[in-house]
Amino acid sequence: MARLTLTESEVKRLNTAVSQMLDYFTVMQKIDTTNLEPTTHALLSSNRVREDSNTVYTDTDLLLNNAPELEDKLIVIPNVL
Amino acid sequence: MAEFDPKWKKLREDRSFYLSWESETLKSDEAIGSFLQFDPSALLGEIVPGPLSGIPFAVKDNIAVKGFRLTCASRMLESFVSPYTSTAVARLQAAGGVVVGKTNLDEFGMGSSTENSALKKTVNPWDASRVPGGSSGGTAAAVAAGFVPFGLGTDTGGSVRQPAAFCGVYGLKPTYGAVSRYGLVAYASSLEVIGVMSRSVSTIETVFSIMKGIDPMDHTTLEGAQPKKPSGTIRIAVPRECEEHGLSAEVGKTLAETKRTLAKLGYEIVDCSIPSLEYVVPAYYTIATAEASANLARYTGIRYGTRAIGAENPDDLVTRSRNEGFGDEVKLRILLGTFVLRSGFQDQYYTKAQKVRTAIRNDMAKIYEHANLVLMPVFPTPAFAFGDSGLDSFEQKKADIFTCTANLAGLPALSFPAGIEAGLPIGMQLMAEPFAEKLLFDVIARFEKEFPAPEIPVKIGINHEEHEAHEGRRRR
Repeated sequence: MARLTLTESEVKRLNTAVSQMLDYFTVMQKIDTTNLEPTTHALLSSNRVREDSNTVYTDTDLLLNNAPELEDKLIVIPNVL
Repeated sequence: MAEFDPKWKKLREDRSFYLSWESETLKSDEAIGSFLQFDPSALLGEIVPGPLSGIPFAVKDNIAVKGFRLTCASRMLESFVSPYTSTAVARLQAAGGVVVGKTNLDEFGMGSSTENSALKKTVNPWDASRVPGGSSGGTAAAVAAGFVPFGLGTDTGGSVRQPAAFCGVYGLKPTYGAVSRYGLVAYASSLEVIGVMSRSVSTIETVFSIMKGIDPMDHTTLEGAQPKKPSGTIRIAVPRECEEHGLSAEVGKTLAETKRTLAKLGYEIVDCSIPSLEYVVPAYYTIATAEASANLARYTGIRYGTRAIGAENPDDLVTRSRNEGFGDEVKLRILLGTFVLRSGFQDQYYTKAQKVRTAIRNDMAKIYEHANLVLMPVFPTPAFAFGDSGLDSFEQKKADIFTCTANLAGLPALSFPAGIEAGLPIGMQLMAEPFAEKLLFDVIARFEKEFPAPEIPVKIGINHEEHEAHEGRRRR
């Protein structure tokens, strides 16, 4: 899910840090939250939707210029198969 | 409206003044390291009339400004050039403001010292052996050093207020949704906001009033009703838990002095309690890492960003690019985030944290039934030292205890310089009800008259002997 593969030295460093944080997260079990609803956004009360219409974006070259590898207007990736 | 030092307008009127300012800023910043990119040439172009006409400002490098790079201080985006401008910056530009540079930060905003930048080291302008704070450390250092009259940062768990406190400037974290996040590179979307730093409260008020408001590009923007101006004496509540969470002697002393000064100004100081304070940091990191793991999934090395060389297939390309592009802290938070979101663990971590978040909101709402503002320190210590003599990464996280409450509850908070101890500035913060920024400005503008933003005694980067000689001449 994280889409990371760690080197051995990273595993060593991050293993300690991850366990330390997960231990720390267990502190939350001490507080009684039985009758509380979860908060997803602090102040948002309702969903606001935009009008369902399209807008034209013209700066496509600027977007493509950030691609690591480009052939004409196509982004190059390694072979899929 | 804020009044700016006339020197800022002189920059565009007097070419030789501009050139010497540019080279002096570059030279001083060699020692401080606040900017990742400094390009003030737009000051020489056409200037839009408005309240900020020709006023230069700095922008944290996780906020998009068209034509400038947008690196997030990450190898992943090292050469990314922004194709568009964030709403907050576009509004300041429409009011005449001019972006002169992009400032350093902890990679993707993840950190409290700017040490997690993959691209540059930034030091505290008060003392080069100490961190400027983070994650908006570059903006805080640039504002404190006087390079710009104001700058933008972002605050997810304290990232505007804490560096502002470490560098002796004001730092506003607005109400969640008051300022559009369009063009802010997402880290923890339900917590973060764009904020302002300056050496003047009225500048912060002006900049905030220009940036805020509904934006069709960000559906979480809100136009909250201005709370009624409190009638009678304004009550400022101080949570008794603050003292229980290990304040350093310097911060404890400044908190006591701040209470005295506010009382002298006619405010009523009352005691209060945030029973959930103990749980805010674990809840904050659970939510922030969960959201980060989802937000950072977009970095694949395919359409933009750093791409690893030699990958054999698209999956390999994505994994290798992420391995090479992200630093340790970012990897740690992605791993934690994916862990707390794993099926079977959600109730224990993510949902639990969201319920704790409700408890915190309830605790704060209860306080505001009998008080108008809450006073807390920003950080338990003054700016700490780099490396092993400072705070380790875990200690830094635990020290977010006083700042992340405002993010979890969506409240506005303003940190302000309130003392100098052992040569370092100490910051305090006031927290208000949603959309009550005006009350923060009014109260802290009065405090500012008692204790203005301190001047840095000796500027880093200026030859010490020359400085002494210069001071000597001035005294004579």
